[in-house]
Amino acid sequence: MSQVSVSERAAAAGEVPVTRAPYFVRKKKGITPRSIAVLVFLTICALFFCVPLYVVVVTSFKTMDQIREGAIFTLPHIWTLEAWDHAWNHACSGIKCDGLKVGFWNSVSILFPSLILSISLAMVTGFALALWNVRWAGGFLFLLFICAFVPFQIIMYPLIVMTTTTKIYGTLWAVAVIHAVLAMPVLTLIFRNYYKDIPTEIMSAAMMDSGSFWRIFFEIIVPMSGNILIVVLILQITSIWNDYLIGVTFGGLTGQPMTVNLANLITISTGTTNYAHNMAAALLTAIPPLVVYFLVGKLFVQGVTAGAIKG
Amino acid sequence: MRWSRIAPQLALTPALAITAVAFVGSIGWTIYLSFTRSRRLPEYGIDWSEWGRQYDRLFRDAGWEISLRNLIVLGLGSALAIVFGFILAAMIDKEKRGESFFRTVFLYPLAVSLIVTGAAWRWILNPTLGAQSFLRSLGWEVDFNWLAQGDTAMYAIILASVWQSAGFYMALMLAGLKGINTEIWSAAKLDGVPLWRVYLEIIIPMMKFTFITCAILLSLGVIKAYDVVVAMTNGGPGQSTWVPAYFTINALSAKSNLGYASAAAVMMLVITLVVFIPLVALTVWQQRKREAAR
Repeated sequence: MSQVSVSERAAAAGEVPVTRAPYFVRKKKGITPRSIAVLVFLTICALFFCVPLYVVVVTSFKTMDQIREGAIFTLPHIWTLEAWDHAWNHACSGIKCDGLKVGFWNSVSILFPSLILSISLAMVTGFALALWNVRWAGGFLFLLFICAFVPFQIIMYPLIVMTTTTKIYGTLWAVAVIHAVLAMPVLTLIFRNYYKDIPTEIMSAAMMDSGSFWRIFFEIIVPMSGNILIVVLILQITSIWNDYLIGVTFGGLTGQPMTVNLANLITISTGTTNYAHNMAAALLTAIPPLVVYFLVGKLFVQGVTAGAIKG
Repeated sequence: MRWSRIAPQLALTPALAITAVAFVGSIGWTIYLSFTRSRRLPEYGIDWSEWGRQYDRLFRDAGWEISLRNLIVLGLGSALAIVFGFILAAMIDKEKRGESFFRTVFLYPLAVSLIVTGAAWRWILNPTLGAQSFLRSLGWEVDFNWLAQGDTAMYAIILASVWQSAGFYMALMLAGLKGINTEIWSAAKLDGVPLWRVYLEIIIPMMKFTFITCAILLSLGVIKAYDVVVAMTNGGPGQSTWVPAYFTINALSAKSNLGYASAAAVMMLVITLVVFIPLVALTVWQQRKREAAR
């Protein structure tokens, strides 16, 4: 039992625990039957996880005639980009039929202001709370912790009223600002937890040097924030891009992000549904976050775990 | 050592203002509205003789009862994602071969919007052109027409949410498993304890924090579940897949009943607090334990 506590202590101190003591190195032997069974099981699970992606991809390249044959898992007879073109340029959302490109550019124009707003606000707040002597910091942190869990519905109506009175309701700005507001508690906590581990020697030296809040922030803190910034960026890009509820609530008719267009397309379809169009639209919506995911890989896990408490 | 100046206090004003207005103030506003008779527009007079009328109505509303029942069904069903995530993590951790490949595959659903997830599963579950007709053409008499029937539509939503979140719990479990001292394995091997007993009697009890964290995150996610319902069924057929989040937004937007929606939102907050308080207790406990270990 004593060894366990040693390793726990090491883990608590942030050291990397020794993963394999030398005398436990597995003997180099051939693959065991159990390994094969495990790998087969994992592969089957992996296939199950890939089925929806596969189905969506092949459907988006099919013609509607082939889809009507009812063989959902077959490859397209003729690969066609017609559905992609239609989804991008002509798909209907509500009464307008200008395609998903409208929503795509809306999503892009929501994403960037919202990223800048939410991250800069959370960085400054986290820095102030972590390293400066603010008397009520403890109470404020606890309040932020509670706010991070509050369901959106309980603040929905007041936020609608506030955005309406400030005349931004129904615009991209409303969606971007509300994203920044709702992300503030979680992001602040993330930054605060990161900054509080900055060695006091660095802060003392900085205080001797200039002592100015903003100079320390821009000259020391921002350059030190690289790692956490990437994690937070991943978290924010995926959650803003994938959001539906805030977009549909505050976007009105002109500020709808891509997910809202997609939801309109798949839920309200008059006449016969063209599944190729729907699947191409779904893929178009999914591609940006998937690209981020496959680019950053392991960091993505950190991003989503950090923001797990956010809805 | 910390320093006190005016600048940090000033820098905190935006965050303070947001917390005070957008969170604390707005929550108070909604709670207040839930005691009024507001319908389309807010009315700020409270009739004290029947201040709880919105709540009275809410508890007698069949739609709300369905929502609560679905919340429990969805919670229990989604818990499969934790079980599944643990099994996957244990296997990946023990096997090591292909770890990064499997992890990438199991986590990708988390990167896409639940609207996309819903669109994909809705298409797969399509009764005439989807997986059902394909499997039937192979001669398998399967019944996948879950979305069209009220009593099975929740299963479809559970399937999509488990598919979406299992990878996340796998990642959390994998992190937990890596923190376990490897000597336990060899000790168990020397004693000749079968592997499944090592997991059941040693590993799982050692990972109780990870399990509790997963359970709390799952409950919070289930309370907020909205997108997946919209994309899969839009609440239908009838009211059979309503959940509290859906009920509340529906009361506000479709029924334009502000007081009623506020009451439902307050109940959502109460449910969240029930989950939230153990989390605070857990965090405090964990922190104490860590300090004691120092």
